[in-house]
Amino acid sequence: MEKLLEILEDIDPDIDYNTEDRLIDGGCLDSLSILSLVVELEDTFGIEITPVDLVPVNFNSAKALWSMIQRLQKEN
Amino acid sequence: MSYNSPLYLFMFLPVVLLIYRFIPQRHRWKLLLMASYIFFYIFSGKLLLYLLASTFSIHHIGLWLSSCKKKYTEKKKTAEDKAAFKIIYKRKRRSILWFGIILQIGALLFLKYFNFFGQNVNHILNWVSSPLLLPTLKLALPLGISFYTLQAVSYIVDVYYEKIEADDNLGRLALYMSFFPIIMEGPICRYSQTATDLYECKSLEYHNVTFGIQRIVWGLFKKLVIADRLNPLVKLVFDQHESYSGIIVIVAAVCYTFQLYMDFSGCIDITIGTGQIFGITIPENFRQPFFSKTSAEFWRRWHITLGAWLKDYIFYPIALTKFVKNLGKKTRVRFGKHMGQIISSSVALFGVWICSGIWHGVGWNYIFYGMYYFVMILCGSIFEPLVEKTTAILHINRDGIPYRIFQSVKLLLIVFIGELFFRANGLRAGIAMFKSIFSGFELATITNGSLLQLGLTKHDFAAVLFGLLVVLVVGIIHEKGVSIREKVADWNIVFRWSFYYATILLIAVLGAYGAGCAPVDLIYASF
Repeated sequence: MEKLLEILEDIDPDIDYNTEDRLIDGGCLDSLSILSLVVELEDTFGIEITPVDLVPVNFNSAKALWSMIQRLQKEN
Repeated sequence: MSYNSPLYLFMFLPVVLLIYRFIPQRHRWKLLLMASYIFFYIFSGKLLLYLLASTFSIHHIGLWLSSCKKKYTEKKKTAEDKAAFKIIYKRKRRSILWFGIILQIGALLFLKYFNFFGQNVNHILNWVSSPLLLPTLKLALPLGISFYTLQAVSYIVDVYYEKIEADDNLGRLALYMSFFPIIMEGPICRYSQTATDLYECKSLEYHNVTFGIQRIVWGLFKKLVIADRLNPLVKLVFDQHESYSGIIVIVAAVCYTFQLYMDFSGCIDITIGTGQIFGITIPENFRQPFFSKTSAEFWRRWHITLGAWLKDYIFYPIALTKFVKNLGKKTRVRFGKHMGQIISSSVALFGVWICSGIWHGVGWNYIFYGMYYFVMILCGSIFEPLVEKTTAILHINRDGIPYRIFQSVKLLLIVFIGELFFRANGLRAGIAMFKSIFSGFELATITNGSLLQLGLTKHDFAAVLFGLLVVLVVGIIHEKGVSIREKVADWNIVFRWSFYYATILLIAVLGAYGAGCAPVDLIYASF
C-alpha cells in the first residue's frame, strides 16, 4: 500500500489519497494521469491491466486501486 | 417528423403515450419497439433492414461470445494443456469480437465513406492516367446509423470484456438499438444505461411526466429562439462565402457555434425529456461546455457520450497495447516523465481524434476538425508545465478572475475557429474563409449596417441575444448544482404556472417558425 501511495503522490501530490474516494468520478485524475498510473502499477506490482479493469470503481480511491492490484496479482 | 415538429410533439408522442398508459405493462416494450420502428421507417423506409441486420448480428455475436465462454469453463478442467487451451479460447473470442466490430463499422464506413474514398482514389488514378476508375454508388444512409453503430459496438465489446451479460432477449436488444427519441441524434447510450429501464416500462408518474415536458419545452426554446433564428445568417455567409470577409465571417463562425450548440443540445433536451416522461434516464450529453477552461475540458462537457465512447473504446484499448506501453517506458527514460507520457498517449489521442473527425462527416474538413482538436489538446498538455512555471514566476493567480477570463477567451477562439472549418462547405472553403477574416478585416463593418444585410433584422439579433442571455443564466445556475425544475416545483401554484405560461409565451413570441422562416434541420441527424 505504501508503494501505491508513493506512485499516486508522484502523479499528483495535491490530492489527499487517504480520504479521496472520487478520483475518477470527481475528475481528479484525467485519462493521461490514468495511463501514467497504469504503467507505474504494472511495472511496480508485476500485473497486467486491461481495458476491462479501467472502470471508475477500480480507480476511485487508493483502497479500490489496492484491491484491484491484489486481485490481479492473484489472477497472475 | 423531427423532434421539434408539431407532428412529433402533438401527434406521435401523445398517441404513443396514450396507448402506453392503457395497455398492460408486459406489452409496453412491444409498443415502444413498434413506435421506434415506425419512426425509423418514416425517415428511412426500407433502410430499416440495416438497423434490423445490425440488431440481429449483435444479438447473435453476443450469444456466440457467451457460449464460447461457457464451453471454455466446462472444458478447461479436463484440458491437458490448460495454458494452451486458454490461448485458443482467447483467440477464438477475439476473432468473434473483431468479426462483430468489422460487420458494424464496415457497414457504416461503406455507406458513409465509399463514394468519398472513391472520389479521392479516382483523383489519384486520373493523375496517373489510369483507365480504371472506381464507380460512384447511389448509397442512402439509414437514420442514425452513426449513433446506433456505436451503441452496437459498445454492446459487443462490453459482452467481450464481461462488463455485461449477453442478452438472449432479442426484443430488449432491439429496443436498446432503436428507441425513437435516441435514434436520430443520440446520446450514444450503453446497454447497461438504458436497456433494462426500456424493457421494464415503468408506469407513468406525475413527476416524470411534468419534468419531462418541461425539459422538452426548454429544448424547444433553444432550438426555436436561437438555433432557427440564426439560420438565415449562417446559411447565407457559409453558402456564399466568396462574397464575405472580415468581421462578417467572424460573426458567422460565432453564430454557427451557438446555433450548433442550441440545435444539438436543444434536441438532446427533447430526447432526455421524452425519456423522462416514460421513466427512462437517458444520459446527459452536455454540461455547460462554454464554461470550460481548456479544449480537453470542453470535450468532456460537449457531446459527452461520444467523448466517453471514444475514450473507452478507442483511447484506452490503443493506450494499453504493448506497443504503446513500451513506447511510453522508452520515451520516459529518454525524454523525462512528462514528455514520455505525452508521446505515448499522443498515439492513442491521434486514434481518438481521427475517428472523431471521420465519424462527424464525409469530407476533409471533418478530418481537419478532428486533427485540429488533436493538436490543440496535445499542445495544452505539452505546455502545461511551462504555463504553470510562467504563471508562478509572474505571480499570476490561476484561480483568479482575470486569468479565468483569459482562459475563456482563448477557449472560445479555439472553438469558433474549429466550428468555422466544421461548417464550411469543404476544407478549401474553410481555409478561404479563415484567410478572408484577415484580408478583409474592417471595423467599419460593425457600424455601416452590413450586419443587418445578412438575413437577420435588429429584432432577430435582439431575440437571439435575449435567448443566449437566458441560456447563460440557466447555465450558471446549473453549474452551481441547482435544479431549476425542482426549485420551480416548490413555488406557489400561481407563480409556478405563471412561469410555465411565460416560458411558452416567450417561445411563441420569439421563436422562428411558420411561413417565411427557414428553420435549420437537426444538424447532428445528418451525421
